Amino acid sequence: MRILIVEDDPVLSDGLIRSLRGSDYAVDSATDGAEADQILSAHSFDLVILDLGLPKLEGYEVLRRLRRRGSKTPVLILTALDTLEDRVKGLDLGADDYLTKPFDLPELEARVRALIRRGQSGGGSVLAHGALTLDTTGRRAQLDGEPLELSAREIGVLEVLMLRSGRVVNKDQLAEELYGWDEEVSANAIEVYVHRLRRKLEPAGVTIRTIRGLGYLLEKP
Amino acid sequence: MDAAVKSRRWRLEARRWKRPTTLRRQLIAWLAGPLFILWLVSSIIDYDIARRFVNLAYDRALLEAAIDINRQVKVINDRIYLDMPDVALEMLRTRESGNFFYLVTGPVEEFVSGEPDLPRPLPETPDAAADRVRYYDEAFRGFEIRAVALRAPVDPGSGRGAVQIHVAERVTSRDEFARQIILRMVLPQGILILLAGFAVWYAVGRGLAPLTSLRREIESRSHRDLSALSEEQAPQEVRPLIHAMNDLLARLATAISSQQRFIADAAHQLRTPIAGLKTQTELALRQSDPGMQDTLRKLQTATEHSARLVNQLLSLARAEPGAKLGHAVERLDLARLARETTTEWVPRALTRSIDLGYDGEDGAAWIEGDPFLVRDLLGNLLDNAIRYTQRGGQVTVRLSASADTLTLSVEDDGPGIPEQDRERVFERFYRVLGTGTEGCGLGLAIVREIALSHRAQVTLAAAAGGQGTLVRVTFPRVA
Repeated sequence: MRILIVEDDPVLSDGLIRSLRGSDYAVDSATDGAEADQILSAHSFDLVILDLGLPKLEGYEVLRRLRRRGSKTPVLILTALDTLEDRVKGLDLGADDYLTKPFDLPELEARVRALIRRGQSGGGSVLAHGALTLDTTGRRAQLDGEPLELSAREIGVLEVLMLRSGRVVNKDQLAEELYGWDEEVSANAIEVYVHRLRRKLEPAGVTIRTIRGLGYLLEKP
Repeated sequence: MDAAVKSRRWRLEARRWKRPTTLRRQLIAWLAGPLFILWLVSSIIDYDIARRFVNLAYDRALLEAAIDINRQVKVINDRIYLDMPDVALEMLRTRESGNFFYLVTGPVEEFVSGEPDLPRPLPETPDAAADRVRYYDEAFRGFEIRAVALRAPVDPGSGRGAVQIHVAERVTSRDEFARQIILRMVLPQGILILLAGFAVWYAVGRGLAPLTSLRREIESRSHRDLSALSEEQAPQEVRPLIHAMNDLLARLATAISSQQRFIADAAHQLRTPIAGLKTQTELALRQSDPGMQDTLRKLQTATEHSARLVNQLLSLARAEPGAKLGHAVERLDLARLARETTTEWVPRALTRSIDLGYDGEDGAAWIEGDPFLVRDLLGNLLDNAIRYTQRGGQVTVRLSASADTLTLSVEDDGPGIPEQDRERVFERFYRVLGTGTEGCGLGLAIVREIALSHRAQVTLAAAAGGQGTLVRVTFPRVA
């Protein structure tokens, strides 16, 4: 996995490089927009972490040129600007995610993982959550290497929860994901699926938390 | 400073300055002073003129009485005597209301008839000797009198010399008459002056009405409103003032917004180095030996604190009046915004083992607002609630609706805010003592600024169980 970090602040850049290298990614870096543009036009990456306020060439412009070349490389924008307009502009230009400085390192790492996974999702993948793994193409779940008996809908719910592990998934989102299997998924039905999942996963220490009035959250391992 | 306090102070100051220099008072003073003097002078002149004409009329009457008496002077057997029927005399006396006296003397000053002790005129000066008629003022029996002396030849052509006829009357009646005249002249003048005063009073009031309404408009303004004052209703004379004021307001707005832009820029600039510091600290914490852990934790805490402060300064700069940092008011679904924002805060709450939940109806709830600012408002309330509530506590976001309002509330079962601190926590950098938590005391100040800019009310109370804090923000609802 190859990541390009485009950030002009040397301290932050160094921190990001070391953090991501620690997670076994191959990391390159650029300190200005022109350099980034040059590197991006010559090499391909699995993810670009892009600062917006760059010398020589603005981050937005780097992104615009990247997309104009037809690249689908996921881009995570990292910026000190945080107004809604900034966000919308970045996402309109084809950024995949947006993180405002200063951020928590674990948060950044989680987003990086999610983006890389999304970048590869064409071929399907295996989601892992502690002792729990989910093969999204084979639609099989395993706990400690042992196959887990789950219905198709339970797998669907589990997949959504695992994809957003540590974040709240509301019932509407779950219903949307399950739409393919079931024409009408009521809130009650979702409660039932979650309840069943919980019963099967809890003995292994995997917790699905109910967030009052909002939805469910798969607690981080 | 608190807005209400500020405007009260302003009003007090205005009152202090108002007393000595109202335009109305000045105009009245300038008008009444000269008018009063004029009135006084004209009264004196009027009195003098009245006196003169009264004297003239009365003197003529006296002379006529003297001539009447003279006609009755007869000479019989060389003796001069007055052949005046008592009835005629009585008539004269009555006409002059009892204040009438006469004396007739012969050619050698001998008494003929009347009051013998009636004062006679001073001895004649040589060139006055020819005067037939002489008027003079004297005192008689303790009264002031006016008298006339008429010299008339006895039996014209007889060469017997002349009789002197003196007729006198007390001056009180003329004084009375003059007073009557003067009263009749001066009183209307006084009334006229008073009326003029009232007219000025009223006219000034009417004339200043545009200024009064201008004052009211300015007084009733919130400190956030720096928009131009309306010139349409104002008369020509007041327009330059409004113009100048609008000019000042515009410059003020520019100054404020450039200051806010500066704060925002500074905060933005600080974000990158803080992000670097934070990242490096977190990395170091993962790798360092146990001896360094404590120092690094403290470093991390300080970094988090700075990060929060920078974010809050930015929020505050954005929420303040005149801030033009790219926010726009739109019709927004408060229910959805509240659900989304609360959802974003769940991971933070979980790191502190706090049960964060949402309670509200499913449907949409519309308000007019800037989604970014409203998100900031709720974010700050949640940040406070999560920060100050003990581990294992509960925080609930609620949305309730009434006919024309929507109330967003955040309730926690934390330590609560003592009643005496509840107003002060909205001040910038104020922190409740003894909470032992890092906070920079800007959160509620931001909440209030944002609420103000959305015409929303913020109230602070104890939570339902008597413990903890309940913050309510009530927005006007739109269809």
